[in-house]
Amino acid sequence: MRKITALFAMLAFTAAPAFAQDAGWETQGLTDDSITIGVMGPFSGNASSYSKAMVGMMAYYQKVNDDGGVHGRKLVAVQEDTACDSAKGLAAAKKLISQDQVFMLQGNSCSGVAVALRPVVEESGIPWIVAQAVSDSISVPLARNIFHGVPTGSANGRAMASFVLSKPDTKNVAIIEHSNDWAHSYSDPAKEYLKEQGITPSLELTMERGQTDATAQVLQLREAKPDFIIAALYEAETAIFLKDLKKYGLGDIPVMGTAGTDLENTLKRTGDFDTVKNYFVIHSYVDNLDGPKMKKWADMIKKYYPDEELSTFSFVSIGSAEALVSALEKIGPDLTRSKLIAALEEVRDFDTGILSDPITWTPEDHQGVKGSAVAGFVDEKPAVLKAWGQPY
Amino acid sequence: MQMPTARQRRLRTILFWAVPAILLLVPLGTNAYTQFIVNGMLISTLVTLGFTIVIGNLGQLAFANTAFFGIGAYGSAILAAKLGVPWLLTIPIAGVFGAAGGFLASAAALRGIRSYYLAIITLAFGELMRWTYLHARPLTGGTDGLPMPRETLFGVSLTDDTVKYFVFLVVTVLLVKATANLLASRFGRAVMAVRENEVATASLAIPTSRVILVTFIWSGFVVGCAGALFARHIGHVFPESFGMLHLIASFAMVLVGGLGSVLGAVLGAVVLTALPEYLRAFPGMEELFFGLIVAAVLVALPMGLASLLRRMSPIFVERFYREAS
Repeated sequence: MRKITALFAMLAFTAAPAFAQDAGWETQGLTDDSITIGVMGPFSGNASSYSKAMVGMMAYYQKVNDDGGVHGRKLVAVQEDTACDSAKGLAAAKKLISQDQVFMLQGNSCSGVAVALRPVVEESGIPWIVAQAVSDSISVPLARNIFHGVPTGSANGRAMASFVLSKPDTKNVAIIEHSNDWAHSYSDPAKEYLKEQGITPSLELTMERGQTDATAQVLQLREAKPDFIIAALYEAETAIFLKDLKKYGLGDIPVMGTAGTDLENTLKRTGDFDTVKNYFVIHSYVDNLDGPKMKKWADMIKKYYPDEELSTFSFVSIGSAEALVSALEKIGPDLTRSKLIAALEEVRDFDTGILSDPITWTPEDHQGVKGSAVAGFVDEKPAVLKAWGQPY
Repeated sequence: MQMPTARQRRLRTILFWAVPAILLLVPLGTNAYTQFIVNGMLISTLVTLGFTIVIGNLGQLAFANTAFFGIGAYGSAILAAKLGVPWLLTIPIAGVFGAAGGFLASAAALRGIRSYYLAIITLAFGELMRWTYLHARPLTGGTDGLPMPRETLFGVSLTDDTVKYFVFLVVTVLLVKATANLLASRFGRAVMAVRENEVATASLAIPTSRVILVTFIWSGFVVGCAGALFARHIGHVFPESFGMLHLIASFAMVLVGGLGSVLGAVLGAVVLTALPEYLRAFPGMEELFFGLIVAAVLVALPMGLASLLRRMSPIFVERFYREAS
């Protein structure tokens, strides 16, 4: 036993340099004219389309730099690929933190990767603004240096239920969902909200991924006659479900979908306006993507990324980038990591002008965006709504 | 292929223990990132080793490797997270779980299923396990995965990559040595004989079924232990870590290193774990470059990187090693 202890003591001695904390930790990644920010995203692999979610943020950094930076410092992004894979994501985070020595992190599209990164980033103490991934467990329980800058799964789920109940006389609500955690991340908080309002779903149905027919589910819905249906389904299955609803004469029942579906894409998939006329989706922005309130953001992205084909994902990280820049400006030129964390915790009701709900970070709660708007067709045109019949 | 002399064999033994002794000093020259990559190399070494003894030495086209890896990782995570078993203890237990997986996978081979049919059955086994990780939600956490609890070892947090490295190194060296010894024994010769001609081997009163069974079980044990290391390496076990992409990467490591070679398993794992990190400098082009480099190595060295070393010195010729025909 003594020999084993001695061996481990020797190994610990060998490892000692790795445990040592640098004295300049507070200002690591800062120079007089730059702030380095580690940006992680899936730039390769099956989920590389989600890297579009970095574009808005990167364009915003460039805009800030063109306007002179923050207190004379330019925002310098160091990009690393996670490939939406936890091992590769961890390597990316460790590279940014220990090798590139960035001042802070912002980004990350894949929830699974972000969840795996959490202990590493939390232990490092460096500020991280999660700008795309939605899983609640990235920022709950509270980690002092991790901030969520987009609506989380629970915020979206509650927003879905809230919208459903905003329709007058809605008492009978049915739920249809995939049997995976992605769907549960929307349906569980939605059910919780319904329960708080004294409503139990009349029917809870499952439609598996890849299913090409929803007749069985629709026939059960015909019996239950719900006032509203909450559908936590991917876009392909949503289109099938909506088509079958119409086919069996239930096309007038409104359906509330997740942020994982896009209104106009769903219309393209069904190819029939009647199937989507009562379909609503979570929409985190103040306007339609081609609406006047989004124009300045679209123009900004196009200026720096002329080839970018704009989609819902392109805009998602801009709001948290604005909140970051605002916090950096408030701190002044004497910037440290601790000061940034403290400043972020002071952000209250920050109107980004792009996200439908403001950002508020407090020392007790780092999930900054608590709600989301809804998109639906009004007079056959896509519109953003606060509640049933209430334009945003 | 020139065989090593007695002196060269002694030198090889010294070299085998000298390399890990030198590797103990690696943390002096690494940061958290490079240490993480080195740790990944050790895990990949075990995965590749377990794979190559079935596919290269035994000559069975079996692809259940990723299943053993997942079984080991989830076994370790469930024991640690749900039952509070210290992670170090979960390593051999995960190995036993992996061995049980190996036993199940060998059932198809023992029933005389071979070639593409065995490949499909073992691939299906891997997918079945992935389905289980996804749907046994109370046990595995479903798509959210299962986080490893935070632990300390002799007062040092196990989130530290340097501490993990020493444990990974000890486990890897022990399993590599044990596998090398196994393949250099009479049993190893029997394994090779089964690969070359199973009927002729059986005619020599060698119990071929037992050879196949034990090889699968040992492969499962090695890869199951690697799974337990992986669970601690990542700190969170997700189903997507055990899919086709992982299998393809492991297969590439086996081929690039050299089919059926212990040294090749180590070389393949080290090179192909490091390569994607070098390719980080080319975002969006990594997969293309990775594919081109792997293809180039295989064209230039069809018997893998180990064959290059064998050509340089007989020290690197493994006992009973024969290039797959």
